[in-house]
Amino acid sequence: MSRISFKVTGAQGQGINSVGEMVAKGLKRAGHHVFGYREYNSVIKGGHSSYQLDICDCHIESSETKVDMLVCLNYIGLKRDLGSIKKDGVLLHLIPDWKFSAEDQKLLDDNNVNVLYLPMEKILKEHGSRPIVGNMCVTAVVWGLLGRNYDTLKDMAAEQFAHKGEKVIKLNHDFIDEGKKFKEESASEVVIDVPAADSSRTDDLLVTGSEAMGMGMVHAGCRMYCGYPMTPSSPLLKYIADNQNETKMVVKQAEDEITAMQMVSGAMWMGTRAATATSGGGYDLMSETLSLNGIIENPSVMVLAMRQGPSTGLPTWSGQGDMLLSIFGSHGEYPRLVMSVSDAQDSFDLMPEAFNYAEEYQLPVTILTDKHIAEGLYMQPQYDLKKAKIRRGNLVTDQKELDKLVSADRYNPSAKDGVSPRWLPGSKAVTYCAQGDEHDGEGNVEEGGENAVQQMDKRMKKVEAMKAALPDPELFGDENAETLIVSWGSNKGCILDAIKNQKGIAYLHYSYLWPLKTEKLEALAAKAKKTIFVEASYQGHLAKLIKMETGLSFDHQILKYDGRPFFFDELLPQLVS
Amino acid sequence: MSIPLEKSGKPNVHDYFCKTECTWCDGCGDYGIMAATKRALVELEIAPHEVALCFDIGCHGNTSDKMLGYRVHGLHGRILPFASGAKLANPNMPVLAFGGDGASFSEGVNHLVHSIRSHYPITFVLHNNANYGLTTGQASSLTWQDQPMNTSPNGIPEDTIRPMDFIFSLQPTFVARTWSGDIPQMTRVLKAAIQHRGFAFVDILQACPTYNKFATHEWLLEKCYDANADGHDPSDLVAAKKIACDTSEKVSCGILYQNEDRPHFYEKLVPRQGVKTTAVEEVEITDVSGLMKEFV
Repeated sequence: MSRISFKVTGAQGQGINSVGEMVAKGLKRAGHHVFGYREYNSVIKGGHSSYQLDICDCHIESSETKVDMLVCLNYIGLKRDLGSIKKDGVLLHLIPDWKFSAEDQKLLDDNNVNVLYLPMEKILKEHGSRPIVGNMCVTAVVWGLLGRNYDTLKDMAAEQFAHKGEKVIKLNHDFIDEGKKFKEESASEVVIDVPAADSSRTDDLLVTGSEAMGMGMVHAGCRMYCGYPMTPSSPLLKYIADNQNETKMVVKQAEDEITAMQMVSGAMWMGTRAATATSGGGYDLMSETLSLNGIIENPSVMVLAMRQGPSTGLPTWSGQGDMLLSIFGSHGEYPRLVMSVSDAQDSFDLMPEAFNYAEEYQLPVTILTDKHIAEGLYMQPQYDLKKAKIRRGNLVTDQKELDKLVSADRYNPSAKDGVSPRWLPGSKAVTYCAQGDEHDGEGNVEEGGENAVQQMDKRMKKVEAMKAALPDPELFGDENAETLIVSWGSNKGCILDAIKNQKGIAYLHYSYLWPLKTEKLEALAAKAKKTIFVEASYQGHLAKLIKMETGLSFDHQILKYDGRPFFFDELLPQLVS
Repeated sequence: MSIPLEKSGKPNVHDYFCKTECTWCDGCGDYGIMAATKRALVELEIAPHEVALCFDIGCHGNTSDKMLGYRVHGLHGRILPFASGAKLANPNMPVLAFGGDGASFSEGVNHLVHSIRSHYPITFVLHNNANYGLTTGQASSLTWQDQPMNTSPNGIPEDTIRPMDFIFSLQPTFVARTWSGDIPQMTRVLKAAIQHRGFAFVDILQACPTYNKFATHEWLLEKCYDANADGHDPSDLVAAKKIACDTSEKVSCGILYQNEDRPHFYEKLVPRQGVKTTAVEEVEITDVSGLMKEFV
């Protein structure tokens, strides 16, 4: 594996993402494997943020802590990020008359860093242009340093600004020429070698996990989306909302998370497929409604996009510390399904499954994602649109069958696997009550002890049936490997990158977290000499869950809770020692 | 006015009959409200399978298994968003939501604000007995001043919300008030509410013989009058506000304000213009090849 990376840093609002995204697109179209990673603070303007692009000769879904090139649009990066430049790396900055401290100068000298100053203020003045246009010049310099062809960049700029007209395109082309001039005049010798391309991947998509999830929901037949903005679930709301005129979905930005979850529940009770997404605080508010859906046996789908910390915590950073909340949060006992995505592939693929399981077992489904997936930029083969099938379980729509129903069928406690017939409001049939109090088969309130036991047993029976139907966790690597890693969610990308080409080490990935299937894990763990658990939390939630269900403990736990994802060069030595 | 009975071929009140026994106190306003609800639906020729009835938590919520229809009995304070979500999924279905004054003016008051503002095309029936009946008579934000209540033996130190001032501040398009002792009036009001274009707010002043010792059935009987019979024009917003908010001498009832000109939420959704199907009917695996193009 040959990989390089570069990072653009600057103040929020300076447009650093545009530099990274355009370079990513250009490289992807040439078949280079890329992975994009954003860091930013919870402010609109001014906070220090960065966009990192890792480039590889094979598929990657991870970032490194060290970069081959650092691009600083403001001075903060010059003071803070110099240590992240690799030996013989490049520093490109825009700060006039910047004097490095003696300590920083020594660091640059020791690492033989090639320092380039791009006189952006002067260039902007000559053109009489706003600073934001300068990003195209920065992009062009980066483009040149990576040894790319400027005409390709000009074509992309024309494509991006086509809707703004010729004048804007011309302006951007002028700034590309400025970048080219700078590269040729001031850095003609400096070139960063880009790892080999793969011509089979040029038609790949370049998507974030949120965009993948949004497309997956549309693909799954989700026709209504209600949300309330909360990082890192907001990009999903934005994607769905931005595309509503094409998808013709009913989209509602609700007054709060409780409303969003209630509207989704009402919509799914009526019979459509609807979804919402939030982060931890919003989940807390929604959880009472999950409990309602548990007892009225109403399918629902919600996404919990995790970030780090209690309360507002680190609102724009990543974590996995809400997993046990998603399984045990909210009052009373009721069956539910908790699953997790890990990248742009399953953020798409698992959406139809989420709705299918919700409808087949008539229960709330929670999909976990995190900031790292939600905003990570993945290179993704085009989705197979023939794979997904719709499954709606025991949904009665045929009039002849509807005619045979009695009200007490709705919550019939002796239904097979606890899954009783469900029919939609408006169906020409007997009616029932989706009753939030404990109830009899028809949904009439019934507080008798015997009935309470029957109905609880009925609902909880669904767990075993569902567990049997769920896929096992997925094994990557040799089933006889000496070392077995177990993890879930966004860690998958970094773990798989780290153990690529490593012998004797395998990875077991959990997509379905509750109910938890453990047979495969137990068989593999019994054979392995060493088991390693990886999670972005303080407590190691999945490990606790596994211990609870099996008694199994891991030999070694790698836990991280600083809001940052696992980095390739940080995780590799811990896994392969 | 006659109520269609059995064998008419059309929906009749017996179709809504539920075998469960009523559990309300003698003299509870819920009996009358349920009777009027059934009657309004029947007179509009709506069969039980053609209507969604959404109940909040409270004494009124026990209507959920006292009459038929596709019903939900949800969480305290949250019935409006559940009902509006259901409605948006299938706008062809009449949706009625029922909630008490505790649910609607305390626990879920935000939903009332935003449901009126959003102008969802649903009917909201406020069971207004000015206290929390089911939890044994605590004060609500609509309880009068100087009334000793369970958990506030000295009366409430807070001010009482003036519901009509509040509702009219939200630019509603349908505001009615009626009371639980007048089934024909409730029926007339509910029929108009169900047929209203957008969000219909129906305040039903409800006798609570066990816990409300101030606005009793007798008090309501004496104070309430039919404003429409009295010549009030529901299209007159200024007059509507005045007679709705000023209840010092007498309590105006009937359809106080009605405006059929404002498009409701669903009508204003740009993507749904010209779409004949409902979201319920559109559930299928959907081709997203068009969406993928943006990312190549």
